[in-house]
Amino acid sequence: MNEIYFNADGGYLEGVVRGYRDGLITATQYLNLTQCETMDDLKLQLATTDYGHILQNEPSPMATSTLSARCTEALVAEFQYLQQNAAEPISKFLEYITYGYMIDNVILLITGTLHERDTHDLLDKCHPLGFFDSMPALCVATTVQDLYNTVMVDSPLAGYFRECLSAEDLNELNIEIIRNTLYKAYLEDFMEYCQGLGEPTGAVMAEVLRFEADRRTVNITINSFGTELSKDDRAKLYPRLGSLYPVAQTSLARADDMDQVKAVLEQYGEYKSMLVGVNLNAASGGAGGNELSLEDRFFMREVQLNKDLFEQQFHYGVFFAWLRLKEQEIRNVVWIAECISQQQKDKINNYTPIY
Amino acid sequence: MSLIQLYIPSDVARFTVSQLGEMGLVQFRDLNSEVSAFQRSFVNDVRRFDEIERKLRYLHKQIEANGVDVYEFLDEEFVGGSRGPRDLDDMEERINSQESRVLKLTAAYKNLQLKHLELLENKYVLEEVSSLFTEISGRQGAPAGIQGAGRGAGRGQDAAPLLARADTSSRRSIGSLDAARAGDLEADIGMSAMGRDINVGFIAGVISRDRIATLERVLWRSLRGNMFLNYVDIEEPISDPNLEEPVYKSAFIVFAHGESLRARATKITESLGATLYQVDSSAERRQEDLIDTMSRLDDLLHILMNNNVARFNELTSVSEQLNTWFAVVRKEKAIYHTLNLFNYDANRNCLIAEGWCATNDIPAIQSALHLATEDAGSNVPTVLQELRTTKEPPTFIRTNKFTDGFQNIVDAYGVPKAGEVNPGLFTCITFPFLFALMFGDLGHGFLMTLCAALLCVYEKRLAWLAKDESLRMFFTGRYIILLMGIFSMFTGLLYNDIFSRAMGFFASGWAWPTDQGGEGVTVEATKLDHVYPIGIDPAWHHAGNSLLFTNSYKMKMSIVLGVIHMTLGICLQVPNALHFKKRINILHVFIPQIIFLFSIFGYLVFAIILKWSTDWYARDAGGELTHVSPPSLLNMLIYMFLSPGSVSDDEKMFRGQAALQTFLLLLALVCVPWMLLVKPMILRREHQKIISEGYGRISSHVRVSSEGDGIGGAVVVAEQEEMEEDDFDFADIMINQTIHTIEFCLNSISNTASYLRLWALSLAHAQLSEVLWTMTFLPTLKMTGPYQPVAVMCGFAVWFVLTFSILIGMEGLSAFLHALRLHWVEFNNKFYDGTGVKFEPFSFKAVLDEAEDQ
Repeated sequence: MNEIYFNADGGYLEGVVRGYRDGLITATQYLNLTQCETMDDLKLQLATTDYGHILQNEPSPMATSTLSARCTEALVAEFQYLQQNAAEPISKFLEYITYGYMIDNVILLITGTLHERDTHDLLDKCHPLGFFDSMPALCVATTVQDLYNTVMVDSPLAGYFRECLSAEDLNELNIEIIRNTLYKAYLEDFMEYCQGLGEPTGAVMAEVLRFEADRRTVNITINSFGTELSKDDRAKLYPRLGSLYPVAQTSLARADDMDQVKAVLEQYGEYKSMLVGVNLNAASGGAGGNELSLEDRFFMREVQLNKDLFEQQFHYGVFFAWLRLKEQEIRNVVWIAECISQQQKDKINNYTPIY
Repeated sequence: MSLIQLYIPSDVARFTVSQLGEMGLVQFRDLNSEVSAFQRSFVNDVRRFDEIERKLRYLHKQIEANGVDVYEFLDEEFVGGSRGPRDLDDMEERINSQESRVLKLTAAYKNLQLKHLELLENKYVLEEVSSLFTEISGRQGAPAGIQGAGRGAGRGQDAAPLLARADTSSRRSIGSLDAARAGDLEADIGMSAMGRDINVGFIAGVISRDRIATLERVLWRSLRGNMFLNYVDIEEPISDPNLEEPVYKSAFIVFAHGESLRARATKITESLGATLYQVDSSAERRQEDLIDTMSRLDDLLHILMNNNVARFNELTSVSEQLNTWFAVVRKEKAIYHTLNLFNYDANRNCLIAEGWCATNDIPAIQSALHLATEDAGSNVPTVLQELRTTKEPPTFIRTNKFTDGFQNIVDAYGVPKAGEVNPGLFTCITFPFLFALMFGDLGHGFLMTLCAALLCVYEKRLAWLAKDESLRMFFTGRYIILLMGIFSMFTGLLYNDIFSRAMGFFASGWAWPTDQGGEGVTVEATKLDHVYPIGIDPAWHHAGNSLLFTNSYKMKMSIVLGVIHMTLGICLQVPNALHFKKRINILHVFIPQIIFLFSIFGYLVFAIILKWSTDWYARDAGGELTHVSPPSLLNMLIYMFLSPGSVSDDEKMFRGQAALQTFLLLLALVCVPWMLLVKPMILRREHQKIISEGYGRISSHVRVSSEGDGIGGAVVVAEQEEMEEDDFDFADIMINQTIHTIEFCLNSISNTASYLRLWALSLAHAQLSEVLWTMTFLPTLKMTGPYQPVAVMCGFAVWFVLTFSILIGMEGLSAFLHALRLHWVEFNNKFYDGTGVKFEPFSFKAVLDEAEDQ
């Protein structure tokens, strides 16, 4: 039945988002971008893409930060256009997408406050999609209880925050725990919500969300090496979904080094092929030449999954997928711009191509 | 079309391209297609003008934002004439200085505005806070003043009203302090108003109105209720220079107990985007501050105004030149984009350009090159030479304002290949004619002609119509409409229709009996011995069988005209075949096709004309009818196929009809295999002959060298792309031919039937206008009584508006569409490939028009 009314309810937005998708930079355009010698060349090349009109009024020596800011602004404007034109249930779905950014913003503000950064600088750095009303007040909170009672209680994240209340004071480790607990609760909730939307949205979103959960699981495991996080606590942070749940998560919770992680992951077909030729100890982009880090592989897999979402009709996953792809594209463009402005041409090809 | 090559000395290059751009005669080829945009020779110049354009856009935006009028003025001499590099440098310098001045002024303006905003908000805070204080202390002042010593009791009493007030006017404040504290607070305020110490401090500020609720909530939660917030909406919106639109704001005041809580409150309010202002607790000081703020505000307003005037003047001086600068910059950018297409030989200091141009235009181009050389003050001339080439040239069809519209109709279907017959020529007449057959009405045609004539006569004054998207269609098609109107008047005359009425210019060929009559009596007109000189006799108009007559007439006419139109289409294959030297197409495509068409539909046309010209009711000397009865042509055609060789006696038209029909049918049948098989077979035999003689295909990589190569072994630029592969695939050709044959045979029937739309639409048009006349206008004419004149006026108005909008507007569009279809489908597919590429010369006019459209 969903299919019958889909175009009446969401046909316009889907059309818009598929149009946005067609504006993504293609492989040939990337090739042209990577050949640029200066930022001016880059600007000239970008003029032929969808970014052309947002950059044309920038005065000429353009900084990478300006580029990144303008691109994000464009992304946000497009997303907000979708939001403004959406009705239930798409509007709710889009809102769910923004929760992820809210979590990032909350963590950013708490961390910033902990290090006594200037509030306004912090607010500028927050992702505009993750803004909520009482968010700026986060910077006065000093304890977790405080945080919840003052600010979070009437934010959309309130439900996710309840599990974090056990932590007492705010320090680096606790903030990390809060971040991951929030994210875990968010993913589980989002999953449940998507299942409630019926097929095919439920099925296609399940795939990307499972991947997201797996990625978080692996990242939590790797990042917890050499910290004071106990293995039991580590297991508690894993999202309770994904293909690694529950069997592999139990073994990952006990892992002590990269090799063990690798051994666990290799039991899964999709990750085994992903791990081939990966330098597990390299950070993203840090590896020169053809060696890719695990993170890059994850990005590539994410791009692939999101591209696949566009192959199917009648579901809301396209909104999610477009946002992710566009974000990846901005990361790519900024990466290329950074490489050009820092004269690191040998690393310029370490972006994740999309189309 | 000629492919020309130009050797341009590099110091003349810019002038040359500029001259050629003004003329718009050459379409340049990209000689650097493998070089990406930013690696080309003149990319820096392009960038320079991009930057200037950006500055101009900034200035334009400022001009629009400040409501300065942009002058339509264009400095023709500077834009149209030749500009030296010096002129451009001067222009750039001027633009730069203007831009930086405007930038500075704008920045200063913004600064001032910020200050203004601050003062304004401060003023509001002071005002609102004072009003809050007086409100509170006014109520409490009486008890406090009277019961000086017994203040404790006063507290108790006053606590109630404050809370009550907080409850009743709940949107204005939240009083969340407990009763005692509230009393304290109020008392303290009371005291402070009287100039004593306080221990409950307050902060005051301004925040945007939609944030107030959040502020309240967050403050209340984070201070655990130990606070008191009151706010007042500022009535008028405040314009913030950082935001686009003015925003509504509120002034608030927060009371909190103790230093640390106040610090906390300060932090929260600030992070929520509020601006805090220092407000003194004593009334006199507040009054002083207020007066001080007001006076500073006045000063600032004065400065702001001066700044505004200065900015306005600056922008006005920019606006005078803005259009000129835009035009120049766009032209210069186009010049460098074009130069980027050229081959730049740095060693020999010259540019090599290649492009297509009309062969007749070469002298004009030569003289432009001379002019450019003179402009540059150089004595090294540009060399132009024609190249021999096998490349397919773009198609250039010279049009004027009359033929342009018709050519557009054809180009929308497909651009003719170079050398192919251009259907646009025939369309000029056939299109309005076919349209008019469907739109035949003298009155409607006259109105249409009138409108189109106005558009044509005042075309210079109405040129702005072309800029409007929906009116552009009518303006560019004005000559089409004019011809359509004139032809409609002609067909209207033939159909004897004017607004669905008949015209009796001449004596009718029929006479109605005058003696019989009365309601419901059928009378018969008698034929007189003369014929109505032009068109249909008006006597038919009210006849009971007028529809029968006109239908039969228009139907036959449609078939006759359709067959003629299609025959023209088929015949146009001949010049095409002659030009492309394909004799086979004449012998084995054109001839069988024309025979096929003529043996079936040519015969039908013949029968129609025969039937028209025979007097079926003529009597011989003995008074006997000479003919049995008029035959049905439809049946004749059907039985020609179903029972060849026999014609029933009462359908017979002439002697030998049966034999002729059999012969024609056999002829048509022979044509089918002829069309189907002969051409592919011949092609196959030729191909095999070539193979058997041992010739193979060589990879054809033709390099065209030019005669002038002698000088220092010039590099030849005109490298040809791989010749079109002519792989011989018999199956392909056979399938193609089968499709074409089947298509032609079926189409000759369906297309002929398709021309019947001429009859159908003309019938619909005539009937619709008749209905409109009898339903709206006629009843008012028949009315009697004093109101008749009014009724006639109204009736006429309704009739005329509907005539114009429905009959001329909508019916006209529909007839236009059908005429278009008859040309695209029925006519064009007989001979027209339309696979050419349009000639698009580099011209400044096109560049500027495009920029304007954006």
